[in-house]
Amino acid sequence: MKVQNHAHLQDEHILWAVIDDKDLAGPAREHLRECSVCKRKVEQFRGELQDFGQKASLAVPPFSRPVRLPRENLAAVSHNVGWLPVFGAAAMAAFLVFFYFMGMEIMSPTQFTTLQNQESLLEDESLMREIAEIVEVPLPEDVYAITGDNGTGFTEDLYEISGDNGTDAAENMDEITGDNGNGFDEDFLEFVVPDILDDFQSEFI
Amino acid sequence: MKTEDNKNMSLKITALVEKARDGNRVSFQELVGIYQEDIYRLAYYRTFSQMDAEDLTQDVFEQAYRKLNSLNDPQRFRAWLYSIAVNRCNDFLRKRKYMRLLQMRTAQEQDFMDSGKDMNNTFNDRIEKKRFWKQVKTMLHKLSAMERQVFTLRFMDHRNINEIAAILDKNESTIKTHLYRALNKVRGQAEFFKEYRGSIS
Repeated sequence: MKVQNHAHLQDEHILWAVIDDKDLAGPAREHLRECSVCKRKVEQFRGELQDFGQKASLAVPPFSRPVRLPRENLAAVSHNVGWLPVFGAAAMAAFLVFFYFMGMEIMSPTQFTTLQNQESLLEDESLMREIAEIVEVPLPEDVYAITGDNGTGFTEDLYEISGDNGTDAAENMDEITGDNGNGFDEDFLEFVVPDILDDFQSEFI
Repeated sequence: MKTEDNKNMSLKITALVEKARDGNRVSFQELVGIYQEDIYRLAYYRTFSQMDAEDLTQDVFEQAYRKLNSLNDPQRFRAWLYSIAVNRCNDFLRKRKYMRLLQMRTAQEQDFMDSGKDMNNTFNDRIEKKRFWKQVKTMLHKLSAMERQVFTLRFMDHRNINEIAAILDKNESTIKTHLYRALNKVRGQAEFFKEYRGSIS
């Protein structure tokens, strides 16, 4: 930036002078102080830029919406609630993991039906077992102990007395009663169910 | 006299910032009153849209209100506020670029369509302003992002080198270099500047 005192400043120096004349080297600054032509050039460019700036500020549309401050000082609030979204997200993730591992998927409709079926099958099986027991042993154990039942309805002592081996008893009974195989005497039957011709009370006669 | 006024104003702002930092809402509201038009203009120079500039101004002060406790030196309030505004505008412009890619109508286009409703301006005024902003846009498009930023802050927002360095978090010599390059490029637009010389009403 060496400039001779008698030579005018170059454009480069004019520009530096417009920005800040302190940045000019000593001789250029000295020349600028003394040379009215160079001084006028610098002042002119500065003036043009200044007028441009003023023109720009005048050409801006008027400010029609004054600034409104938020109701509360958000600094304190925002610092305090800053953790809330993070906490919310973490809680949601924890819930998801919890339900996943606790087998929430078992409660899906199809699996829930399967579970119900298993339960009802177990219940049915238990009922069937109870019915089978009742059929097999209709009376309580105590009753059998008193009667000494062997499952046929008669005690061993009774068979011994009659000499019964389990098959002769009925025959003996038939002999006693004169049974013809139906278990009843014919006279008795005739009495109970008279022949239709002998039935004087019958209205068909 | 002017220096004395500036000093008094500076002291007043520092006092207001200190009170606002202690939770005094009225003090912050007073700071808003002092700076809202400057911030609005700053946003307009970057968006060229009244609607967007007003939205951005609201955003800037809301952000400043929330983050006021992070400001260590109350004397640097203005630079701090401007840096918030510049960053918000940059974010907005980046977003708008993507919106344009998606061919969505921006507020700038909406403003253009609504400009006929502005009954305060005469037809000639509107035409002249439109022409002015078109030329400004053409000129600024020739500059790099940093050059545009520095040029706008220096000659449109009327900030000094020291303050621009604080706003953009750069050193002064970097700012001067960018400014020199910007002036070198706009020098070709000398006619444009001359046209507006003395036309300020």
